[in-house]
Amino acid sequence: MAHDWKPDFEQLVDEHQSMVFSLALRMTGDRGLAEEIAQDVFLELDRHLDKIESAAHACFWLRRVAISRSADALRRRKVRGLDLWVEIKEHHGLQPEPRISSLGGRLEDLLATLPEPQRAALLLRYQEDLTPEEIAATLDAPVATVKSHLQRGLKLLRAKAAVHLKEYVREKEYARGV
Amino acid sequence: MDEFEQELRQAFARQPAPPSLKNRILRNRRSRAPQSHAHLWQRLAAVLVLTLLLSGGFAWHQRERQRKGEAARQQVLLALRITNHALNHMNQQLAAHGRANQK
Repeated sequence: MAHDWKPDFEQLVDEHQSMVFSLALRMTGDRGLAEEIAQDVFLELDRHLDKIESAAHACFWLRRVAISRSADALRRRKVRGLDLWVEIKEHHGLQPEPRISSLGGRLEDLLATLPEPQRAALLLRYQEDLTPEEIAATLDAPVATVKSHLQRGLKLLRAKAAVHLKEYVREKEYARGV
Repeated sequence: MDEFEQELRQAFARQPAPPSLKNRILRNRRSRAPQSHAHLWQRLAAVLVLTLLLSGGFAWHQRERQRKGEAARQQVLLALRITNHALNHMNQQLAAHGRANQK
């Protein structure tokens, strides 16, 4: 199908690198891997640029491929039988990065412990601000399934936050005057 | 959206990509472009050679089958000629023997 939109690859990288990198980082929990995934996603976009019909289509395509490549990377890691966090610490000797917001950082850590489909749905909901229908289109899944992943993921994350983020609960209780 | 979801939205705000990411993507893109053309020609050449080899092999196989078939046909014809010759010879002998008996 003919389309008038003329994509500028460099501009697309400028506009969407933060989105693609953040999705990959939060899906995998590994900064190095997230950079590799982001590179691969943009190089794949370059190969498919003639099929992209609009700026919105580019954004949709990038989200979809970023989630899909991150899930592939996680599966490859599972096949290799290495625990993600142990590997990062042992092989890269990485220290935990200073967080802008410690609560935010800890919520990210808790998100990494959720099952992959729930993590993807929550990320698209709260990072990308997508509706369940848009998430369903991005993940190529039924809307009911996405809603279920969102509900279960949110419930699980809330429960984990209540256990692991005691100070968060205390702060909230203090703020409420309990 | 409740308070926890608001917290999540704040916690999951997009993170800035590493400053070097864009340059690496563009560098890889530049280095890939000529390679991909080279790969395309290599693939085409490989496909062409393979096609030639396969079609040549097939043609040779067909010709060999025809040659063997023709050789078998010639052998059968030769066998028939020999048999025919032997039968004629026998027939002539029998006829001569019959004439001798009548005399």
